[in-house]
Amino acid sequence: MSGTRTLQVLLTLGGMLAWAVQFTVVYGATSTLCARGWADATLFGLGVVPFTILTTTLAALAAAAILLVVCVRAERQSRDRPASATDRFLSHAGMLINGLSLVAILWNGVPAFILPACA
Amino acid sequence: MQSALDPAGGDAWDLYWLTIVMTVGATVIFIFVTALLLYAIFAPPESRAWLGTRRTIVYGGLAFPIVTLSLLLPYGLVVMRNTDVPQAGALQIEAVGEQYWWRVRYPAEGEQGEFSTANELVVPIGRPIAVTVTSFDVIHSFWIPNFGGKIDMIPGRINTFNFTADRPGIYRGVCAEFCGAQHARMAFDVMALEPAAFEAWRRAQAQPAREPATPFLERGRQLFRSGGCGSCHVVRGTDADGRVGPDLTHVGSRRTIGAGQFPNNIGTLAGWIANVQHIKPGARMPSYGSLTGEDLRALAGYLESLK
Repeated sequence: MSGTRTLQVLLTLGGMLAWAVQFTVVYGATSTLCARGWADATLFGLGVVPFTILTTTLAALAAAAILLVVCVRAERQSRDRPASATDRFLSHAGMLINGLSLVAILWNGVPAFILPACA
Repeated sequence: MQSALDPAGGDAWDLYWLTIVMTVGATVIFIFVTALLLYAIFAPPESRAWLGTRRTIVYGGLAFPIVTLSLLLPYGLVVMRNTDVPQAGALQIEAVGEQYWWRVRYPAEGEQGEFSTANELVVPIGRPIAVTVTSFDVIHSFWIPNFGGKIDMIPGRINTFNFTADRPGIYRGVCAEFCGAQHARMAFDVMALEPAAFEAWRRAQAQPAREPATPFLERGRQLFRSGGCGSCHVVRGTDADGRVGPDLTHVGSRRTIGAGQFPNNIGTLAGWIANVQHIKPGARMPSYGSLTGEDLRALAGYLESLK
């Protein structure tokens, strides 16, 4: 696989990777902070658990949004210029996957603002 | 009989509506999707062509599920947040799951002394209740469907179940985690009483056992003592102080015996004593089948008199 192709696949799946990282950090941090009894600490006026979830969620959303924009551009370019079927497929799939990842990341962050930190 | 579809408390109502919304919603969507599927298979090609268009996929396959799940997620989370919440001033009750019955203890509160009972939970309506649960042997699960969700009873760990009963009545609780051969015969009665009736019940329960009123009942008490019943059972006010089995100080006041198995009367009590291993094989109490008929009646009569 050429370097360009590897990058294309990474762009396509990047939203899911951002979601996976967010998922791991959110669950890992919440469990650890609650189990160790550190959940009462605050950072910038927010509880440490919601703070961690909020920052991780925003970072993951930003990553997925940037990848979505990149894929939308690639998709437009592939319309104007002659492109291979594989390129067109990858950019198209990338748009969908990164768009859905945005939703999934958002859902993953919502409980932090409804449930108590260590429910 | 217990039913999660007959809510008797605020939390149970929240869970009831969550169940209705989810079940009705899922059924409607299932029927709709199945109809579309049949349409896609059997309709003439020209009239079903719209099913394969980009617009159908974007609206039906992406937008609809995202909107539906985005509404259901916060709804479910809000229900989760609002149920089983600890309340200040709650009545504390301790329940311990044992194979195959429930030890229930009411700690002292104000003037009221502590006492233990078994296989029954009596609560006042309108006041928050906090039941702390644990287990003596294996994992059990404490569930009163009319009042909310299940809570696991885990050895060495204390969980708390919070609820408030809204209306008086007799409900049924069950063990909801397979705990052994007699798991299905491990139930308990839940009596939700008006506050005054609850106070009267609680005062009566804290009293020591009443003295036998007749020579026949006195004979029953002697048999209870000579038979060694007191090495496993407590009867407060006598020398029976065993902690293995249920507290029998006021056993005659309970609705049922055998963890919700039989109505409580002299006949079922006698049957239980003589033949417990036939009724509930594997229970820790042996059958006392060698008592004469008259002795058995005296013993059962004594227990029934312990109101």
